[in-house]
Amino acid sequence: MSGPDERRVVKDPLDLEAAPGQARAFAADDEQEVPAHGGPAADAQGRGREDSEKLDQYLLRRYHLYGDRAAREQLITMYLPLVRSLARRYASRGEQFDDLVQVGAIGLIKAIDRFDLSRGVELTTYATPNIVGEIKRYFRDKGWSVRVPRGLQELNIRLNKVIDELVPKLQRSPTINELAEAANATPEQVLEALETSQAYNSVSLQASPNGEGGEEDAGLIDYLGGEEEAYDTMEDRTTLAPGFAKLDKRERYILHLRFFEGLTQSQIAERVGISQMHVSRLIRRSLEKLREEIGELDAPPVLRPSGDLRR
Amino acid sequence: MPERIDLEVPATLNGLSTVRLVLGGLGARLDFSLDDLEDIYLATDHLLRTALDADALDRLSLEVLLGDGVLRFTAGTFRSAKLRADVTMHAEDCLDLCMLLRRTVDDVLFEDEEGAYRIVLVKQRKGGPA
Repeated sequence: MSGPDERRVVKDPLDLEAAPGQARAFAADDEQEVPAHGGPAADAQGRGREDSEKLDQYLLRRYHLYGDRAAREQLITMYLPLVRSLARRYASRGEQFDDLVQVGAIGLIKAIDRFDLSRGVELTTYATPNIVGEIKRYFRDKGWSVRVPRGLQELNIRLNKVIDELVPKLQRSPTINELAEAANATPEQVLEALETSQAYNSVSLQASPNGEGGEEDAGLIDYLGGEEEAYDTMEDRTTLAPGFAKLDKRERYILHLRFFEGLTQSQIAERVGISQMHVSRLIRRSLEKLREEIGELDAPPVLRPSGDLRR
Repeated sequence: MPERIDLEVPATLNGLSTVRLVLGGLGARLDFSLDDLEDIYLATDHLLRTALDADALDRLSLEVLLGDGVLRFTAGTFRSAKLRADVTMHAEDCLDLCMLLRRTVDDVLFEDEEGAYRIVLVKQRKGGPA
């Protein structure tokens, strides 16, 4: 029996140091012994690094040895600040920050799933190259879907930033001339860059992190906070026609804001937390999906905030 | 005096890309905001794509009139009753072509001529500088 001086900072309720088969059942009051963990960010606030590492190990063992999905989710939540921190390094390359976070989250989840308890490394050490690798792979695989001259690609990236800077500064959507001046380009170049921006792909937010997409698999969107509640609120009020079933939650939400709430693209961008150019792409892509789904337009797509479906 | 631009493009998706670029340039001259331009792009894109589906067209004839903060876009000539119905018939609260146009342009008009018609979209500058 341990005396008070031997009390461990993190009590191991499973006694995981014991030989296999000797671990005792997990009890609810054991959880109270486990220190709260704010992820890597919490370290900076003075939380003991050792405590964090022990909690990581505890949760990893819970997940890997006992299949505790809640432990896995807690690890994902704890390490999302690390994903955001790493994604921020790449945010100036023309991709949306929130998309990079989601892609990085895939790397995090892979790292957690593949973590080898016997190797004795910290999760942070193992996860970081996985997260960065996933983001880099995204840039390599999800780039321009058609060949766009490098100059236009670079201008497009500049425009993304310029629009995000000008909208709050002007308190309105900028004009082409204002964009041209701010991006050090001609209005014609700006228009051409905007047109080519539609050729840019983006990873599906509904893609399953494991790439399989079963019903039980959480989509990437499920790992993001913030807008999810709003998406669900919209869902409650919306009956989906066949065409809309092909859209992911965010696409439906954005179409709802644009065409039923009457928000401008700039307002939607602010509401959802993505750039105006990204909103533009999502709206065009969503409407294109509807056209493909509906096929012949004898029966145009229908989205009703309430009530029955119509054609 | 409004400035008038006539444009004829192949009735293809590439033709629509050309239309967008021209409209973008003209909208820029009117100091339209990016939001306003996106509205014009959406409205004309979906109108013309529906027209391509509904009417057997080789080429699209378009006319753009530039006034004081107003862009007036005319497309035609069309004969399809279905296209006309799609533009005018709106089921309440439903996202169809009619609603899309209502949400993106200020006015939708028809110019009838001997069993055929042209469709006019009017967009006024809103979000640009005062």
